[in-house]
Amino acid sequence: MAFMTLENIAVCYDKKKQILKGLNLEVEKGELVSLLGPSGCGKTTTLRVVAGFIDPQEGTFRLDGDDLTKVPVHKRNFGLVFQSYALFPHLSVYDNVAFGLKMRKMGKDEIDRKVKDILEVCGLTDLADRFPQQMSGGQRQRVALARALVIEPKLLLLDEPLSNLDAKLRVNMRVEIKRIQKKLGITTLFVTHDQEECFSISDKVAVMNQGVIEQYDSPENIYRHPKTEFVARFIGFENFLDLKKSGDVYQTADGKVFAVETPHEEAALTGTIRPEDIEIDREGRTANVLEGTVGVRTFLGKSYQYEVSTSAGKFMVNMRAEDQFQEGDPIRLYLPANKLILVSR
Amino acid sequence: MAGLEVPCGETLGRHKVNGEVEMKKSSAFIMVVPGLVILAVCLFLPLLRVIVPTFSDGEYPFSAYISFFQDEYYMTIFFRTVKIALITTAVCMIGGVPTAYFISRCSKKWRGILLAVSIFPMMTNSVIRSFAWINILGSNGIVNRFLMAVGLADKPVKLLYTEFAIIIGSVYLFLPLMIVTVSGVMENIGDDMMEAAQSLGANRLIAFMKVIFPMSLPGIIVGGILVFTGTLTAYTTPQLLGGNTNMVMATFIYQRAMAVGDWNGAAVISLIMIVVTLIVIKGFNALANRLDRRGESNG
Ligand SMILES: Nc1ncnc2c1ncn2[C@@H]1O[C@H](COP(=O)(O)OP(=O)(O)O)[C@@H](O)[C@H]1O
Ligand SMILES: [Mg+2]
Repeated sequence: MAFMTLENIAVCYDKKKQILKGLNLEVEKGELVSLLGPSGCGKTTTLRVVAGFIDPQEGTFRLDGDDLTKVPVHKRNFGLVFQSYALFPHLSVYDNVAFGLKMRKMGKDEIDRKVKDILEVCGLTDLADRFPQQMSGGQRQRVALARALVIEPKLLLLDEPLSNLDAKLRVNMRVEIKRIQKKLGITTLFVTHDQEECFSISDKVAVMNQGVIEQYDSPENIYRHPKTEFVARFIGFENFLDLKKSGDVYQTADGKVFAVETPHEEAALTGTIRPEDIEIDREGRTANVLEGTVGVRTFLGKSYQYEVSTSAGKFMVNMRAEDQFQEGDPIRLYLPANKLILVSR
Repeated sequence: MAGLEVPCGETLGRHKVNGEVEMKKSSAFIMVVPGLVILAVCLFLPLLRVIVPTFSDGEYPFSAYISFFQDEYYMTIFFRTVKIALITTAVCMIGGVPTAYFISRCSKKWRGILLAVSIFPMMTNSVIRSFAWINILGSNGIVNRFLMAVGLADKPVKLLYTEFAIIIGSVYLFLPLMIVTVSGVMENIGDDMMEAAQSLGANRLIAFMKVIFPMSLPGIIVGGILVFTGTLTAYTTPQLLGGNTNMVMATFIYQRAMAVGDWNGAAVISLIMIVVTLIVIKGFNALANRLDRRGESNG
């Protein structure tokens, strides 16, 4: 059995609305798993079930084979990093980090050694005497991390830990978190709504939608083979067309034929493709082509993005700067079979 | 309450100032003048008018004060007053702080209701309030009737006209002040503080003592000062619930001035009370600063 398991977890805050609907998740020891999903899908709720702040109406949470569903928060020994950092403002960095060790009634010398070690790992040695309000966001973030790690937790739980940092610091910190996590080999749950952040840091990603996990896989597999339209949309696919299976190929409602590399067992599904994977057809192909009219153009730096109206709806197409089109130009879009992906509706 | 410094409010204040356009010193001074004039005329002038003569009373400058501290009867009243004020403050803290925390954790709607309920006693007249306690504590009051009914006492226990009665009355009077002040500070402490402490291995009680309590200390200190000075200077409650045998400074001043006509004696006691109040406020602040050193080196 996996190191950490959530089995069939159900949570509702009030009777009307169920937030988690039978959620299942398995995490192996030492893995960093991300919960990815739009705001309000239940990521924080899931994390709070694991942390012990929420008693789920149904389901079991196991760690290392033990059922911890009813164990109170302070006996779980998990490290938590809050979105707000939640540093104690009346304590110095040193005392913030030492707090958890004092709760464990450790000797003064042992506390001192452990605090200094973790401050070193997190690059905080020089800031030990500062108070939280005297530090920058990135520094506070590190203190929060150090405070959670010093107790040598069985699980590390991070709830959107980087969302309060500016873009550049965010990238640095996520590398930092990954480095420390691998160094200490600590099993980690990481909540985020940022797909880039999540892909860069995770061993596995659980994409959540409305209280269930829609897909759980490695970042690479999710990026290349999203299973559902929701997952595809969330990780950057912008173009969707309804397809029906007919023999070996797939057809749109108006009879256009599309071949794909990876077939799908369902009969009615959605084909999707990233804006940068669409090409221009100049050879007059008959399959995998959509005819349309060029619409608004936006400049993306490396490329231009065009909005193209087709019989199957609006398509976003990225093209290099040398291929210039004017609004109103007719255009033939080629959707290569190896880039056109089929997902469930 | 000139010496009142709130250690935590300091940072708050600084942010506020930073956000505003700095005013020219002269125009700022002009805006302060009306306030200063009103203060001078209404506060310092009468005070000086009363206090100054006390120093020329007797053979040498401080003889009025020295003889106060040498008089055993005066000292009994002095220490009784301070004792009652300290006990009342302590009881209000012990009862008020957890209540305030509870209220601060309620939803917005319940918070409003509970605060209104706790302020309610403050909105009734203090004479009426004291009469209510006379009704409860008197020899024919509810408490005594209950004690005799269940057989815990065979004749009425003397509850009214004791220091105990004054303390009860004062706690009732000032507890709302404590609750309102402290819950106001606690409202601004996020749930994440308690949760972070719990995740680090503290149960709720320890988390409260180690995190919530020190974080709300500024509010508790302010509440403590309000309760202490309030109790120290309260007149109606000790007059009605303490009777003539349990005189406190405020009732004593009144007796000196009105019954005996010793205005100078009354003024002496007044100044002593002011000094005691200032010392206690200083003490509270010193305590707060010792317990809360955060941001000390912050420029
Ligand atoms: N304490 C609460 N009481 C009632 N509803 C809540 C509470 N916390 C969260 N919710 C609701 O539960 C849903 C999921 O919330 P959350 O788990 O915080 O989502 P996420 O972290 O993915 O943004 C949201 O619709 C939110 O409004
Ligand atoms: Mg959240």
